Amino acid sequence: MSHLKDKERRRKAPLTPWKSANPKKAAKSKKPSEGVASLDHRFGIPFIAPFFVIFLIFGLAPVIYSIYISFYKWDPLGGSTFNGVQNFVTLWGDSDFWLAIRNTFSIWALSTFPQMAMAIGLAVILRSKRLRGASFWRTIFLVPNITSVIAITIVFGQLFGRDFGIINGILGLFGIDNIDFIEGVVPSHIQIAAMITWRWVGYNTLIFLASMLAIPDELYESASVDGATKWQQFIYVTLPQLKNTITFVLVVGTIGGLQVFAEPQQLAADGGSSKQFLTLTLFLYNQAFVNNKYGYAAAIGIAITVIVLIISVINFLITRRISNDGSGR
Amino acid sequence: MRKKTLFRGSIAVSTAAILAAGVLGTPARAADPVTITIWTFGDVIQRQLVQEYKNLHPEISLQIKKSDLDPLNGTNMVTACTSKTGPDIVAVEVQYSGYWRSYPKCFTDLRKMKTSEANVAAGVPAGKTALDFKKNYLPWRWEQGVGYDDSVIGFPTDVGGLEVAYRVDLFKKAGLPTERGAVGKLWPTWDKFIETGVKYNKKLSAADKKAGKGFIDNAGTIYAAIMNQGTEKYYKNDGTDAGKLIYETNPQVKKAWDTTIKATELGIGTRIGQYTSDWNIGMNKGTFATILAPAWMMDYIKQQAPDTTGKWDIAALPGGGGNQGGTQLTVPSYAKNSQEAYDFITWYLAPEQQLKVFKVYGLFPAASVLYDDAALLDYKDPFFNNAPVGKIYAAGVSKVKPIFEGKLQRAIDQAIGAGLGRVAAKKMTAKKSWDQVLADIKKVITN
Repeated sequence: MSHLKDKERRRKAPLTPWKSANPKKAAKSKKPSEGVASLDHRFGIPFIAPFFVIFLIFGLAPVIYSIYISFYKWDPLGGSTFNGVQNFVTLWGDSDFWLAIRNTFSIWALSTFPQMAMAIGLAVILRSKRLRGASFWRTIFLVPNITSVIAITIVFGQLFGRDFGIINGILGLFGIDNIDFIEGVVPSHIQIAAMITWRWVGYNTLIFLASMLAIPDELYESASVDGATKWQQFIYVTLPQLKNTITFVLVVGTIGGLQVFAEPQQLAADGGSSKQFLTLTLFLYNQAFVNNKYGYAAAIGIAITVIVLIISVINFLITRRISNDGSGR
Repeated sequence: MRKKTLFRGSIAVSTAAILAAGVLGTPARAADPVTITIWTFGDVIQRQLVQEYKNLHPEISLQIKKSDLDPLNGTNMVTACTSKTGPDIVAVEVQYSGYWRSYPKCFTDLRKMKTSEANVAAGVPAGKTALDFKKNYLPWRWEQGVGYDDSVIGFPTDVGGLEVAYRVDLFKKAGLPTERGAVGKLWPTWDKFIETGVKYNKKLSAADKKAGKGFIDNAGTIYAAIMNQGTEKYYKNDGTDAGKLIYETNPQVKKAWDTTIKATELGIGTRIGQYTSDWNIGMNKGTFATILAPAWMMDYIKQQAPDTTGKWDIAALPGGGGNQGGTQLTVPSYAKNSQEAYDFITWYLAPEQQLKVFKVYGLFPAASVLYDDAALLDYKDPFFNNAPVGKIYAAGVSKVKPIFEGKLQRAIDQAIGAGLGRVAAKKMTAKKSWDQVLADIKKVITN
């Protein structure tokens, strides 16, 4: 039923919002778009100017400046000397850099995929019509997202404590030896991934919930007429309909994943004794603000940009393929 | 249309009214009190004394901003000095003293400052420069606040001192002597200390071992203790600002590393990291029987494990005399209220005040004129089984030899600390970890 209504609404919808907003004016003006365009010129620039001015000062200028200093040996107190591409050469040969890439992607994978599965699962529960107090649950799912990372790290640090942490206490009941969630490579990644997951799972749940609510009921109705179980409905109706949302969450998650900083920094500022959870941004931060190698840090920043570009291209290709699939269906 | 003009008129009138109010309001605010801004960490600036200073000078307010040590003495100070702004006072920890001594341009030369009349009543004479106060302090602690161009950049607050805090009850249980003199005699050397640890661990029950109990909280702390018993660390004072790097050849580094590795491999430590939640819990539960404790750590133990009162005592450090930590209060060169800041520092770090701080918070005074003062020597701490902590730390501190702290010492220390951590976590052999340390240090000092 709702599906039909939706179609009707779409048909009724005006071609451009301007006409519907003020039909009388639109009728008077012979070329409606012209009026809008001239408005743009007169008032648009001052309206968008604040953004561009701030962007120039705090966005573009620092970017250009850091490209500039990446060619220098740059110490704010000790002075600076031109260094050519030496920073990039050193970076390419720096084992810490490759370690940071490994750690970043490992933490990204450990936080993104379980998180996505949990978010979809929670969204299914929230969508259920039998659930009481739906808006209450939706609200509290968002609370972790606005909690300070520092506070999260302190609490998780206690949960994951090697000797007296609750998690090792529970594992101990099953006869599992205490796990060192800081010294171990994978365990430390799990700890960081758990913090990220806890913080972001609610947010992603709401995004999945929103797109699930947009799935027409008819699809489920006809699926159940065909004898599909709840699980089959989930696999063959819900998931395919969520394809675009999954891509979106993946893209946003990747951007966030490449910026993981505060969680590992709070665990141990140097990224662990064998740099087992040194992430790319933490690596950059430590070079600049601990070792005072600003030029080198700028070079790392550029390297991160290149990595993001590569991933964006891959994302773009995948997204295009998915949407092509969609149209071909 | 008319309506609009009226509206505009009313805005103009109200604007004028606001402006007038602002102008009239100004004279009332003219007698602004002076605000001294202080950047500090931990317990360097004590609330109780701040209150006392406020009572002395109602016109002065102290704005205290606490940060973690590394960002404070690193980024924050670099940024402040580069951008030519900053607070009136900054606390610089000794591990960073080598770095900042090579940038005296970032600090006000306190030789050129003169105390004002402000604190004459409180015992600080007027018209005195930093050099007039020098005689009050431990010479090597004073040197840590002298720039490499001989300018005085800071006054010493406290001296860490380093002794062994031990649990009397746990020592008794393990059949070890419990009286502090006898305990100190157990370990004249670090090797004996490790032997005692092995002995202690042997007495532990299987359940205790499974619960991760051990002799010392963290064997890695032995490293810094031994390093601070020498005269050179990673740099040799060759007259240049930075000093000459000797970390690869200095026998003290080798000795400290090897001894720490030995202690680690014999398993006398619990592997709990200091300042973690596990550490605080372990302190209460008796997970470890000893901590290498600088004077300032006594207050931390009291705060974190209040129920263990009377169970602790303090014994002498193996090898005789130790130090860890200490801070200088400096006035950055771009301080807006450098005179008020200098007056505050000369009052706050005067021997009288340092004695008060020691009694309340256990920070051991750098003012060496106090070391034969009965008030300090007779001071006993009930939390530590009535140990004469003043006497013990004074004896230890007097044995410490001056140490040359080089420019990138903190970073090198961290690389070595990580190396010890890798061995403790059994991730690498000692040899391999040391090679990694050398590679990491090279990365820090080059480029």
